[in-house]
Amino acid sequence: MTARRTLGSALVDLLIIVFLAINLSPLIVTLSNSLRAPDDTASPFELFRSLNFESYSLAFRKIDYFTAFANSVLITSASVVAIIVVAAAAAYPLSRIQTRPSRALGLFFLAGIIVSAQIAIVPIYRVFKVFGLNQSRLAPILMYVSGSMPFCIFLYTGFIRASIPVALEEAALMDGARAFRRFWIIVFPLLVPATVTIIVTQGVAVWNDFFMPMLFLTKHSQKPLTLAMLGFMGDVESPTQWNTLFAACYLCTIPLLAVFAALQRHFVGGLSLGSIKG
Amino acid sequence: MGHSNVFRRSIYLFAAPAFILYIVFWVTPVGMSFGYSLTNWSGVGNNPRFIGLKNYEYLLADGTLLNLVKNTLVYALFTIVYGNIVSLVAALALDRASKLTGVYRTAFYLPTLYSSIVVGFVWGFVYMPNYGFLAKILAAIGIGDPNLLGNSSSSLIAVAFVDSWKAIGMYAMIYLAGLKNVPEDLIESGLIDGCKWRHLVFNIKLPLIAPSITINVVLGLINGMKSFDYVYLLTSGGPGSSSRTIMFGVYQTAFGENLFGKAAAIAVVAFLLIFTLTIFIVHFLRAREVEA
Repeated sequence: MTARRTLGSALVDLLIIVFLAINLSPLIVTLSNSLRAPDDTASPFELFRSLNFESYSLAFRKIDYFTAFANSVLITSASVVAIIVVAAAAAYPLSRIQTRPSRALGLFFLAGIIVSAQIAIVPIYRVFKVFGLNQSRLAPILMYVSGSMPFCIFLYTGFIRASIPVALEEAALMDGARAFRRFWIIVFPLLVPATVTIIVTQGVAVWNDFFMPMLFLTKHSQKPLTLAMLGFMGDVESPTQWNTLFAACYLCTIPLLAVFAALQRHFVGGLSLGSIKG
Repeated sequence: MGHSNVFRRSIYLFAAPAFILYIVFWVTPVGMSFGYSLTNWSGVGNNPRFIGLKNYEYLLADGTLLNLVKNTLVYALFTIVYGNIVSLVAALALDRASKLTGVYRTAFYLPTLYSSIVVGFVWGFVYMPNYGFLAKILAAIGIGDPNLLGNSSSSLIAVAFVDSWKAIGMYAMIYLAGLKNVPEDLIESGLIDGCKWRHLVFNIKLPLIAPSITINVVLGLINGMKSFDYVYLLTSGGPGSSSRTIMFGVYQTAFGENLFGKAAAIAVVAFLLIFTLTIFIVHFLRAREVEA
């Protein structure tokens, strides 16, 4: 019995490894190619035949990496901070007031989850023109914040209802604490697990998005990494450009991989929280 | 309500910033799309003229709408079925004590961290005719180049495959979280009763992770119906219009052809379609969930 189990377990291990090797092969091959000289067109199957960073330095200059990186950091961090504050605040009344209008408001916010930016791009562009923001980094940020409200308010509302007892606040009421203080001093700090989920899911989504910047940003100095990557469009069709292109791909991804490596526990934990509450 | 003295209605003000942002940048534009869909607005200039349901009539008459809806439904169905089967099998395989489980999880999750634009480039290289990764592999084992993206019978599925490839890690994590909540004693009593592995899976585990299935199917449906990135990056809807999805159709009609009124009409159809399908699927799946 145990022998059979060990054998079965080893078989499962083998199948997982084979599947993973196939599944990740495009990423491995492109990583290997990015570590070659820009003009090295040897077969992609000769994995990691060299360790050359020329393609990276070429891609680095082509993207204008420091500018693009700074823009990505700026847009992502501003969006995520705003998302957290605005969504947590909105979830507070929705979770504490249990009436029909409150539930209806919650559903109204949640319904937005089915809308994608493309459905509304035509008027969105116009709305931003009215505000004179159609060429500003504030435009994608505002779109990310408003677009993530459905998921984030839903998550926070469920979390407050399930995990933060009203009794905690009743004690504060005795002290005469006002609603704003109760929320900010008592409730908000206890939201950390939900906030981690939001940082992880929305941070990755904003960092990786290219559609909003593509819609609004044209100036070189404002472009985030994803938009700078769009400049490589078409290069995938000429094998001589591959190594530089793939180096650019990894320059765009490495910051996120590094954050993931540092915070891995939170990524997985955060995702499961999101799914259980959802 | 015993807490009515603690929570006055004035705390609704906390929701004001979210409400205003959501109304101004998300709800109003969707509402405006309904309005624009009845005009011939070109996107430039300020004089959209009311033309009634003409945009919808044109879209129906030339078969554009039918093609977009059909492609989008096929895309969504493929990503839901393929993505969920692979991730569910992966989650069942990973849900056991093993030293390597952490490494496997990371490896499964990795593709979800790559930007769609990077994934688009990577898979453009995989699918590239003659020189690409897939063509080279197939040539090595003596099979001709299928040129999956350049072929109108395979381009849509080839694009949908990339979408699923990226999403599988996310789905698998949600299934794993669901499996963690399956009570240990249920599995044990099943084993004591001499349950076969497949009975454990189909009669105990799957029914109990029905909420995770609901989440993943609904997420898959919504994401599939919104599919844009990989169509834009890999095929531009081609060859012909064989891989054009609704959202790509909206984008192309608005910014490629400068027909904003017509684009808004497609967007309105998309909105109504996603809304109806989501409500239908949520009701259908919720009714089948069971309690542990």
